[in-house]
This record gives sequence, C-alpha cells and structure tokens, in this order.
Amino acid sequence: MDILDKDILEYALDHALTKRVEYAEARAHSVHQEQIILRNGALEAYVQSVDSGFNVRILVEGGLGFASTNRWTTEEADAVVETAYRLARASGRREKIQFSEMESNEADWRVEEKEKVLDVDPESKIGLLSGIDKEVMAQGVEVPSRILQCFIDLTEKYFINSEGSRITSYVPKVACFVIISVKEEGKVEQAMRQFGYSGGWEAFDLWNVADELVHETMVLQRVINEGKPLKPGKMSLVCGTEVVGIATHESCGHPMEADRILGREMSQAGRSFIYPGGPYWLGTRIGSDLVTIVDDPRVEHSYGFYEYDDEGVEARPRYLYKEGVINEFFHNRETAAKLGVESNGSARAVNYDREAIVRMANTYLQPGDMSEEELLEDVKHGVYMKSFTEWNIDDRRFNQRYVGREAYLIEDGEIGPPVSKPTIEMTTKGFWSAVDGITENLRFDAATCGKGDPMQGLPVYTGGPIIRLREVHMK
Amino acid sequence: MTDLLEKTGALVKKAKSLGADEVIAKTTFGRRMQIRFSNNEIDISKVWNNYLTDVALTWNKRVVATEIRNFERAEERVEDLFKLAKVSQPNPMYGGIAGGTFAYGKSKADGKILTLEEPNAYVERAIEAARAEVPTGLNAGGTLYANYEDVYLVSSEGPTGQDARSSIELSIRAFSQKEASGHGVECSSSLKDFDPSRAGRKAGEMARLAKDPVAGEEGTYDVIFDPLITGSILGTYAMMASAFYVMIQMSVFGNKLGEKVASEIVTLRDSPAGYSVANRLFDDEGVPASETVIIDRGVLKTYLHNTSTAKIFKAETSGNAGLVVPEAWNVELDPGSFSREELFGDVRRGLYLTNTWYTRFQNYAVGDFSTIPRDGAFIIENGEIKGSIKDIRISDNALRMLGNITAISRERQHIHWWESQYPTLSPYILIKDVRITRPK
Repeated sequence: MDILDKDILEYALDHALTKRVEYAEARAHSVHQEQIILRNGALEAYVQSVDSGFNVRILVEGGLGFASTNRWTTEEADAVVETAYRLARASGRREKIQFSEMESNEADWRVEEKEKVLDVDPESKIGLLSGIDKEVMAQGVEVPSRILQCFIDLTEKYFINSEGSRITSYVPKVACFVIISVKEEGKVEQAMRQFGYSGGWEAFDLWNVADELVHETMVLQRVINEGKPLKPGKMSLVCGTEVVGIATHESCGHPMEADRILGREMSQAGRSFIYPGGPYWLGTRIGSDLVTIVDDPRVEHSYGFYEYDDEGVEARPRYLYKEGVINEFFHNRETAAKLGVESNGSARAVNYDREAIVRMANTYLQPGDMSEEELLEDVKHGVYMKSFTEWNIDDRRFNQRYVGREAYLIEDGEIGPPVSKPTIEMTTKGFWSAVDGITENLRFDAATCGKGDPMQGLPVYTGGPIIRLREVHMK
Repeated sequence: MTDLLEKTGALVKKAKSLGADEVIAKTTFGRRMQIRFSNNEIDISKVWNNYLTDVALTWNKRVVATEIRNFERAEERVEDLFKLAKVSQPNPMYGGIAGGTFAYGKSKADGKILTLEEPNAYVERAIEAARAEVPTGLNAGGTLYANYEDVYLVSSEGPTGQDARSSIELSIRAFSQKEASGHGVECSSSLKDFDPSRAGRKAGEMARLAKDPVAGEEGTYDVIFDPLITGSILGTYAMMASAFYVMIQMSVFGNKLGEKVASEIVTLRDSPAGYSVANRLFDDEGVPASETVIIDRGVLKTYLHNTSTAKIFKAETSGNAGLVVPEAWNVELDPGSFSREELFGDVRRGLYLTNTWYTRFQNYAVGDFSTIPRDGAFIIENGEIKGSIKDIRISDNALRMLGNITAISRERQHIHWWESQYPTLSPYILIKDVRITRPK
C-alpha cells in the first residue's frame, strides 16, 4: 500500500477548525489496484498501480466546498483546506445546506482475506485466467472473441470529522469481468458476466467462473441454432435471479435515492418518479404485497460491503419497498436533514477525489416460500427469462426494458425451447404489481453502479429469488 | 516545468537501465474545478489537483503499465513494474510503439482557464438565460467544469513532447414542469467565444416547448436529431471505430473496411482540433495527433490505430494511442447542405428528439440497441413542432440508422457532457424510418 498519513489528515482537519465552519471532514484513501487483461487466451496487458490522497469537505454559511490532492505535505493540506473553505463561502446559497444529527463514531473495521491477494504471485493470477479460457475453448464451440479481466482493489481509508468521528477501514475487493462472442453459421451472440467479492483470492473458488462461462457458451450456441422469436402478446413471465436483480437495482434502488428525489442529480442521472407533492411518496403502493426490496451493505463478503459509510454513519439494512409499499429512501446527511430524518448510511465515494453521494450497496428482493417447480407448474403459457442482455430505464426510473439472453418458452408448466431476445418493456408500477409468486432461494450478482459527476462507478450486488409476473405484454 | 519533463525522462532511463525493451512515461499535472448546481442553486464547488505519471513498458513482448502518484517512490515503482514484466506473459499480437522524432505544433491552451475569475457567474448566466425562456417555475441544474493540464511525454523510441490542454464546459438541464425539460451544453478549449447563456437559452427553450407532454406512440418515424442527441449517437460510432473494439467484436464495423456502412452523405472524421475539449498535440505514444477520416461519403476507410493495432491490420498508426488501446479524440460529422429550417421543412410527419441517455446494445457486433430519449421530444407535422411527447424509446440498429441518414444541417455544435463520453462536432441530422417503442 502507498502512503496514508493520518497525521497529515489530522493536521488538515485542525486547520479547517481554526476557521468559522459549521462542519468539516477529511477523508483519505490508499489504494493498490491491479488489472489483468487476457484476450483470446493471451495476456494483453498487466496494469498495477498505487494511489493515495485525501480530501477536505467544509460546510460554511450553508455552502459546501471540496478540494483534494494526492500530495501528502502540510503545505498541500493547508492549500486544500483554504480552497475548500473559499469555495464553500463563495456558493452564496439562499437555502442553506444542513447535515442531519448523528452520534460520532470511532471504529476500526476490515474485511478478512482467507487467501491474501498480495500473496498470490502474478504468474498464478495469469495462470488462473488462462485456465478459464482453456476450459471455454475445450467445448468445441467457436468463441472467436474472449476478454477476461481481473480487477483487484485493496483500499485502506481513514475518515475524521469535526464531530469527533475517527474511522479506519480496509476492504480488499476482487472482481472478474468477461465478454464472450459465440459464432455459429455466420451469426454472433454475446454475453457479458461480472463477478465481484469483498475478501481475498478465495473469490475464484466460490465463483466457478469456468463453469459459468461454459454454460454461457452453450446457451449462446443454442440460442443461435434453436432460438425462435416470441409471438408477442400477454402472458406470464418468470424472471431468473439475474433479471430480478437488475430490476430491483434500476426500478427500486435508483428511484429511492433521496438526492435524485430532491433534484440534486437532475442534470446527470436524472430525477425520480417519486418527488415531494407527487403521486408517489412514502406509503404509496408500488407493487404487490409480496414485494419487499431491501438494500443491506452488511451482506458478508458482498461486493458492496461496508460497515460505516463515507460520512462515518454506521451501515444498516434499508427496507425500500416493503410489502409493495414505498417505505424508506436512501439518505446521506444532507438529504436526511432536508427530509427531517436521520441518515441511513448511504454516502459512498469511489476514491479520495470524489465527494460521497447517496448510493446503493447490495439491493435485493426478499425471498418468498415457493420452489422453482411450484412457480413454473402454474404457468400455462409464458417465458422464463433467466438472464438479460440489453436493458435500460428512463431517468425517472419508471419506463424500463429488459431483453432476454437465456430464455425459454413455458407451456403447461414445462420449460420448452429457447426463445430469441424476448423483450419486456413496462412501467415500474406495472412490473412490481404483476408479481404473484416468489421462490425461496436468493442469489446475488456483482455489478458496477454508475452515478455522479464526475462519474463514480461503485461495486454493488443486485439479487433476488425467481419471480413470476402474470399477464404482462411480451414481445 | 522542464523539471517535470526531466523527471519523466529519468523514469524512462531507469526502466531501460533495468532491461526494458520499450518504455513510455507521461506525466500529467492537472488542475480541475467543478461547480455543481441544482434547484437553481450551487450545491458544491470542487477543486482537484492531480499529479500523475503513467508508465508503460515492454520486455520480450510482455506489456505492463502503472500509474505513479507518489514521486518520491517513482523509481521504486518502475523497478516493481519491471519485475512484473519479467513474471508476466508475452502478448503475441503486440506490435511495438512508435519510433522517431516528431515536430509538434504549439499548444493553444488558454491559461485564463487556470485562473478563472468569478466562476459562479458562468452558472448564474446560464440559469438566467434559461429563466428568460421559463419565467415562472424554472428548476435548473447542471455543472461547470474548467480544466487545465500540463502534459510531459518521453518515449524510449524517440518521441519527446510537452503539451498544455485546456477546456471549459457547461451543462444545464432546465425543467418547466416535472416532466418537461430541456438540456443545453457549451464546450470549448478556451474562454474566447464560451457563452454559457447559449446553453441556458437552449435548455430553457426546450423546457418551455416540452410542457404538457403526452405519451408517444409506437411506430416508425422520420426523426430529426438535435446536435445534443447526435453527439451521443456519434460517440457510439467513435468507440466502435477503435481497432481494439473491432478486434474484440464490440463493433459493427468489423470486416467492413472499404464497404459502404453509411448513407453517402456521411463523412465522419476524428480530429483533435484546437477548438475541442480533447485538443492535444500528440497521442500517448508521442505520435502527432491529427485528423483521420473514418467514413468517407458512406464508405468505411480506416479504424483508429495505435502502432500495435496498425501492425495487426497492416495499416499505419492514426495517432490515436491511449496507453493500452486506441481511442477517438473528437469525432466530427461533416456538415450537410441544409439549414436547420430546411431540415425541419423536409419532415411531413415525424419526431424531433433533443437528448437521450442509457444506450445499451444486445449485441455490439450486430448493432441492435435501444436508448431512451429524454428532455424535449416533439411531434413534427409539415415542418412545425406540433406537440410534446414522453415515454418513448429508440429500439433500432446502429448500422441501419447510419444508412438511413437522409439530411445533415450546415449548423454544427461542439458537444461533450456527462452522457457523451466522446467529444463531437454534431449537426442536426434527419434519419428516416427510426423504430420507436414504448412501455405497455
């Protein structure tokens, strides 16, 4: 790891407190990163870097200023504090920004690595990816393009603020991102998969990447050879865990971010169909009473794991949609103060040079009590969309679309032949209101959530059980 | 600042002394300022000072790279990097980096951006211009960025250069109602001609026209694309023009060199020109960055290359090297012969779309995708805007749309904002038979 000089950080905060500030904080990150890129079995590049720096955020006269640097000197700390202070004072806001009340926290937390990432030599890391590639190629299927990337991110942080919080943390993350293209009789189908874990190199033992990619390869080949377009119409839709996960993230997680609700992201990621004085607010029904969607940063070894957020607030589960009703927004201290509640620990920043903003962690639909067989046996005519390819949602988070990657026809409760690119395009309320069955399993997928300006791609889990939607329009 | 050039060169020498075959080091001293605003007020102002040296080296076709931010330990990091190369694996497709010496032009970076006075005033001017269009109920948000970088590059193969790059950008989204908005951007490499009012006025005008939208209808339409949404679309083609993305089948342009891929009125070029926020004198190998025609009157002429991909494709580098893969700098669609009014006059019944976001592909090699228009979206009848619509999606194919461009305006605008990763010079374009879907 590179420098993380707590004394410099304390020096910066002390300097800030010599001024007439309402609030000040300093946050340092020290990051070791590796990126290994394998293209068609050969190492394209191995990138290794260390980065460390700190920022100071100051609230003065209801205005916020932020400055960061990667130079660890007292002179630079002075300059950063003076800059943040000057920027805050210059904001000239009519409506003064306030932060919600909180107890100060002192903590030192870390995620353990069973197999320490830095103990695994580069040859072994490359070898592991090469082995996965070889297994994919051993299936006798033409896979003309295979990109396997491994990302390693070991982050040490130190957070202090003017209220007495002092939090040290260490989180190692390992991720694998794969793109494969399968070719058959001149036609190409593609799949992207992401795996993510907070912990050590043991992640690869848990993921079974090779098995997962072999499965994807065979699925894509079958879609090319046997997949038929769907005859459009109303029918049942069974969504696999990957589809449920993306739906929870896009049409529950994002619209429940209080900064969007209050308009702070209006010119970038947009607003929300939920807003003060609008038709949807806390207590409004948005889905069937089977639908409870939770975001919990403390899912053990999850990709979005944390114990304290980047404002020093202790993490806890957030019950977003509860039994089909809008229940709780994601908050940082600024949005919480504005809506008269306490922060629920949702402030996250990707690095020291970014402000902490309202973010998800691990968002999932709570499991029900059905088996997969029970869910399917009651479907007379429908589609089982196990995974998705193209997807998107409007910037109010109400008009969404998911296109199936692995999908099958269901007739009289039996899974039939593959369907090529079945598509659902419907509203958030329509989607969650149509849910009439949920299985008892729970599976997570890793994703990188994009938000913020400058963009902050943050690790998250999306997840859920398998669900059944009735009488939805498919095409 | 020649001190930084010397320090950068010293790292190259260090790597060579260890036994590296080829080494490039690039030091960037960046100073960046941002103001974020929403609900007509400034939310936060930020300043970043960033000191960074990128080092890429090869040894026996093994390619490794690092970012050094702590200069006190820079030599130690180079030693670590060389050790990594020795235990790494060769890339059989690696084709080397550019050699020789080059004469570069002189940077036209605007030093006034470095010491921007009263930055809040730019934000206020944009908001006030929007308010002139939406006198009551305006809610505006956006960002102002000012960026100045000193860049020092040294390559073991000869190129050595120094550059300064500047940019200033304002992006504003204005709401007249909760579901009625418009977006405007203003981008430049210098303060000269930078007019934030222009962006505010556009955002406000679109927000005013977009009032009381009704749900759009599914179907096939002739669509006029505003320069803002054209910028997003061109950005997709810019990414796909990179030889690396072609190699990994993430491009519709694979195996199509010399073929007609677009309407014959389409000429697309990459140009790191002086006006652009991506202005630069050289690429990350030290090759002079210059104009490259990607599509000439509808025919695909070349991909964007670094030295290594050029060797694979038996071509010359186009001066588009990033540290690992080639990338576009600033994509320009050549102007057409239509005025904006003539373009609208050509549409008997169609749509005018001003912005989009969340573009996702089913399959990058085939080009099937969808994207969601946002901000002003309008029905056009006999060349006139006849009503505001919402809740629609473009669900089409990237190659099909490129082939269906039937008219291009003379007027163009430089576009770069949060959603458009690649800077562009974008006109209004008319595309026939665009497939529009909506939720059911």
